Amino acid sequence: MAFDTFMFILMSGILLGGLYALMATGLAVVWTTLGVFNFAHGAFVTLGAYVAWQVTQPVAGGFGFMIAVLMSVTVMFCLGFVLHFALIKPFERNQNVVLLAVISTLAAASIIENGVLLTWGPRDKQITPPIGSRINFFGASINAFDFVILAVALLALFALALFLRRTTMGRTLRAAAQNREAAELMGLDVPRLFAITLGISAATAALAGIFVGSLRFINPSFGADPLMKSLIVVILGGVARFTSPIYAAFVVGIAESFSAYFLGLYWSPALLFAMMIAVLLIKPEGLFGHRSKTL
Amino acid sequence: MTAALLELRGLTGGYPPVSVFRDVNLTIKPGEHVGFFGPNGHGKTTLLKTIAGVLDPWDGGIYFEGNRLNAEGAMQARVSHNLNYDLFRKRRIKARDVVDAGLIYVMQGNLLFPEMTVEEVLDIAPRAARGRPGVGQMRRQIHDLFPRLRERWQSKVRYLSGGERQMVSIAVGLLAMPRLLMLDEPTLGLSPKLRIELSQAVQNIRETGVPLIIVDQNVEFLTSLVDRLILFDHGTVTREIPAENMPDHAQLMEMMFGGAH
Repeated sequence: MAFDTFMFILMSGILLGGLYALMATGLAVVWTTLGVFNFAHGAFVTLGAYVAWQVTQPVAGGFGFMIAVLMSVTVMFCLGFVLHFALIKPFERNQNVVLLAVISTLAAASIIENGVLLTWGPRDKQITPPIGSRINFFGASINAFDFVILAVALLALFALALFLRRTTMGRTLRAAAQNREAAELMGLDVPRLFAITLGISAATAALAGIFVGSLRFINPSFGADPLMKSLIVVILGGVARFTSPIYAAFVVGIAESFSAYFLGLYWSPALLFAMMIAVLLIKPEGLFGHRSKTL
Repeated sequence: MTAALLELRGLTGGYPPVSVFRDVNLTIKPGEHVGFFGPNGHGKTTLLKTIAGVLDPWDGGIYFEGNRLNAEGAMQARVSHNLNYDLFRKRRIKARDVVDAGLIYVMQGNLLFPEMTVEEVLDIAPRAARGRPGVGQMRRQIHDLFPRLRERWQSKVRYLSGGERQMVSIAVGLLAMPRLLMLDEPTLGLSPKLRIELSQAVQNIRETGVPLIIVDQNVEFLTSLVDRLILFDHGTVTREIPAENMPDHAQLMEMMFGGAH
């Protein structure tokens, strides 16, 4: 294999890794904080991409890419915030909250997906990327925009980590995640904090959705694939630390792009699931962590 | 009516369907330090958790500075076995309202937030103060009260010893600028040396004028700190002992169990 091909595959793997990291972190943050698995995460990715696409259309004013990103992220944050009160809050006192949340979030995913289908139709759309030029990277010709995506994804994750560690608000979020009862006795408004967490998760999903939508085409059901990949990433990496799913995301991204080249596109999901099963058998707490979940 | 700080009227509660304490009547006056003593499993912690709003009271009233904290009337018994029954049932007391009123509960053997550093925990604690003044001064006081914490400032709570964790819990309670502070078994699992250290700290807190309710199994610790001792047995208050005739360990055992222990 030529070096430039290798670099090309590696770079596309790293780019995928960055996108998966963004999506999986959103999922992991909800899992560690709310203690439920959000199956509507893929639908958030879809809806985020569609909102951004709509904003760039002449009908809606034909705004630029940046405005579209900001609008979409804001809208999805608000939606996530509201959806907590609709999907998870009503069931939180039931002992089967985890199961009920699976059903309610799956229902929400289905509703959002079909809502998108009704509103925007089944045809593929693409968000026009703001940068079209290609650059030569160690012999491989790579989209300049890919580097922007990677940088923005990592920056967003870094900003989120800083928010959680350094600001009082972020610290109260972590407190509510680690010990709900103690947080309530401290007078923290736990449902509101949980809603903010779901909002942040939806906002990162939207960002990822926009990036995917400007690399490939979007259609009403394209969120299913990101959801599945984030699930694999979260299981592979574990949630012991904020960074665990991020490392796992790059492992998955690179493994996927190499397997797509060597084994063919149809085999890469099989390989990823095989990796997931192997990890579940050998180190069920995830590759990057111990038996705990934290934020 | 004299202005009571905390008043319980016929308070009944527990973990449905098991009733743990019944018909508890109690008045705590401003500036008073009260100790609770009783055997394990007789409802002291459950009572405090109910007052703090963690558990729903079944019946009776909790009044703090004249304001009722829980909903009026008795709790309805569970009328359906539907799994979703609980979803439609309203909470009868909210922990946030209790904290807002300034009634702060320091949990027993509190794990707090295992992955946060002492600094981070004490940074968010004043949120509970709801703008009651004096947080800045209290921050400085915390350093004097618990000099040990300064050495562990950047350690995660997970890595603290039981005593240090207890100190963080109490510091968190103090930073909420409590109008009444409830300490639940602060000496649980502490070595005698640490117990003396903690006793000194609680003594200092006492001198700052914060009214206290202390639940503890250690008679010497308790009697040295409180003005009034309340014996709690079989889920209700059985006896109140004023400061003048504070018993020692042997006398207390005699009173409660009627024999030498």
